[in-house]
Amino acid sequence: MFGHVFSYRLKCLVRDRDLVFWTLIFSILLGTMFHVAFGHLTTESEKFQPIEVAVVDNEDYRNDPSLQAILEELSSAGQNHMLDPVYADEKGAEELLNEGAVSGIITAGEPVRLTVKEPGIYQSILKMILDEHLQTTKTVANIISRNPQVVSDLIEGMQSENGYRRDYTEQISFSGVVPNINLVYFYALLAMACMHSGFWGLRNAIDIQADLSDLGARRSVAPTHKMVVVLADSAAALVISFFEILILLAYLSLALGVKFGSQIGYVMLTCLAGCIAGVSYGSFIGTLVRGHEGVKTGILIGSTMAMSFLAGLMWVDMKYIVSVKVPFLSYINPAALIADAFYSLYVFDTHRRFFINIGMLCLISAVFCVASFAILRRDEYASI
Amino acid sequence: MQVFRAYFKVMRGAVASLAINFVVFIGLAVLFSFIAPQARPMGFEQTQVPVAIINRDTEGEISRGLTQYLEKVCKVVDCPDEPERLQDALFHRQIEYVAIIPFGFSDAFVSGEKCPIQKIIVPGSTESYYVDIIINRFLDTVNLYKTYGGTGGSDSLSWIISSAMDDLQVEVPVTMIGQAAVSVGYQTGYHYYFNYCAYALLALITIGVSTIMISFNEPDLYMRNVCSPLPRRRMNLELAAGHTVFAIGCWGILMIGGLIMHGKSLFEAGVLGLYSLNTLSFTLVCASIGLLIGTFVRSQNAQQGVVNVVTLGLCFLGGVYVPQSIMSKPVLAVSKFLPSYWFVKANDAISLLSDPSPQNLGAIHTSMLIQVAFAVAIFSITLFFSKEREA
Repeated sequence: MFGHVFSYRLKCLVRDRDLVFWTLIFSILLGTMFHVAFGHLTTESEKFQPIEVAVVDNEDYRNDPSLQAILEELSSAGQNHMLDPVYADEKGAEELLNEGAVSGIITAGEPVRLTVKEPGIYQSILKMILDEHLQTTKTVANIISRNPQVVSDLIEGMQSENGYRRDYTEQISFSGVVPNINLVYFYALLAMACMHSGFWGLRNAIDIQADLSDLGARRSVAPTHKMVVVLADSAAALVISFFEILILLAYLSLALGVKFGSQIGYVMLTCLAGCIAGVSYGSFIGTLVRGHEGVKTGILIGSTMAMSFLAGLMWVDMKYIVSVKVPFLSYINPAALIADAFYSLYVFDTHRRFFINIGMLCLISAVFCVASFAILRRDEYASI
Repeated sequence: MQVFRAYFKVMRGAVASLAINFVVFIGLAVLFSFIAPQARPMGFEQTQVPVAIINRDTEGEISRGLTQYLEKVCKVVDCPDEPERLQDALFHRQIEYVAIIPFGFSDAFVSGEKCPIQKIIVPGSTESYYVDIIINRFLDTVNLYKTYGGTGGSDSLSWIISSAMDDLQVEVPVTMIGQAAVSVGYQTGYHYYFNYCAYALLALITIGVSTIMISFNEPDLYMRNVCSPLPRRRMNLELAAGHTVFAIGCWGILMIGGLIMHGKSLFEAGVLGLYSLNTLSFTLVCASIGLLIGTFVRSQNAQQGVVNVVTLGLCFLGGVYVPQSIMSKPVLAVSKFLPSYWFVKANDAISLLSDPSPQNLGAIHTSMLIQVAFAVAIFSITLFFSKEREA
């Protein structure tokens, strides 16, 4: 009997084109929009590029060999290539700045000056370079006034092959992943898609309650045990939603190039746990909320959107802010748990956090299932 | 005026959808107004990169000096010495640089041994490059004093560090030309608000107008209306009046919302008129899209899907959610064929307007006229196909 109810329920659900749109097509479209809008913004776009800067080629500049030497050193190809200077007269330099072709204008003089159009990281680096010129002059003057006998050593030391500059830092890494923040959007999108499996759960809940639909009334008088019907319905919903999520996952990773790490088994486990949470949440809303189908659908859409928002779907920082400020909320929000499971699989080498997320998802799903069945069981209708 | 009255009776059926979209919009508008900086910087401000310092050499004087210097020139974020928390913060760009000062760093530095500061960064990022310069600058200066500063009682590490700190305060003068708020990072709250108006107007007006058109185009109702004594022209005029009142009403509500949230800064900047005009142009576009959807879509369920796809598509591709300045060139090339692109382009130009000269205003007016042209084109297409279908 289980197989019979399951197969017919499967056919019945698949033919609901509206639900297929909201649970699959809508997520694919949204993922495509994300990709089109900011898919090109990888960590490559954050990389440092030599700064385009205009240098006013005037009398002062030609009489300032130390500034010339600095600009020459920083514009020559190699590890220290920081600047791409353009030499121009004062008016030409201003035009370049106004056109946005350069980040700033360096004007030699006493002291050397920097002109910019807006504050920013490249302008700050330019300022640091020019500050260093002044600061080193002051340091050298201080040392010589205090310790005149080191003049020749000092000059020799500063003019040696590496000069006085050193790199005192060494890059290390907790894991080999590239921290691309935009991935959080796609993980939150998958979380939303999993929670949209709730539409199938809701449809099941409506189609089994005699006071909500004609189909529910017909099925209530059938001799099949309610438990068998509920399990078959849920299994059908789960199969469809899991299949949809796998299609979405394949589209995101293969067509759009979203990275999920190499642990495909765990990624699919997260999808399955997410679908179970989604379907059980939909059943829970369908049985708990009393009222018209529109009210239940509205509550389901509103709550899943709120969960997805807190998981970072609309504003990527939100997931982190919630996890730091209100960590409790992260542990009871299924969408945040799903998104964080994908995130922890991608970022961390260990599975501690991943299994906490999956464990919490299973627990939440169990609570929804038990609550739904407790409401549904032994329902009797005196009048419909 | 039966049709005009019926218009708003039918509209009641769409109140739930309209309310949900309006609440979502207000939520986003409040959120982004809250995130946007309240005041524009008046002069040049050096970028303060968020840095987490893990000082495992707390007793070392140089480590303390370096920490103090970083606190002055960077935005030091308090983060526990736990890899998972640090990794989280770095991934979400709450910090751009983790500087771990190893135990014994100061002693090693004084004795000239190699004991590097460990950094965890977004590989090759500009921000990490900038912090590298800051750290190396400080330690280079300390090293110069240590190597050449001479010996004697006063040559203690504290003297070296205070001398280095003193030297590092010397700065070149920076002049700002043009308007200080040109940077994307300094978008005002009202700029976000008016950009998000595109989403609200699209969602509200297309749902409202298409709901009415779907109801009035229902075959039975349509045939009943055709054989009524009310002339077709009169009926269409009343429908058009209903659409106009509804669309202008949505526009008015959003304008009042803007005034309530950003009235003071809008009046100070003197750009309320331009924003209102631009938003009104886009209102025309939305009404024409609503008519198009209402003419071609037959069921309420399909309408929800189409409205969502159209709204999200126009907003994402037009630069409502993601600034046009960071969108890729191929996408922008396609976006130019969408009205939302011109709406956002005009909004961006208004927010950067420092001098309302005819030349500067010309570009804004052109963007508005292009939107009106889009509205006329969409309206003409709708009219053409509905006449075809009638025939």
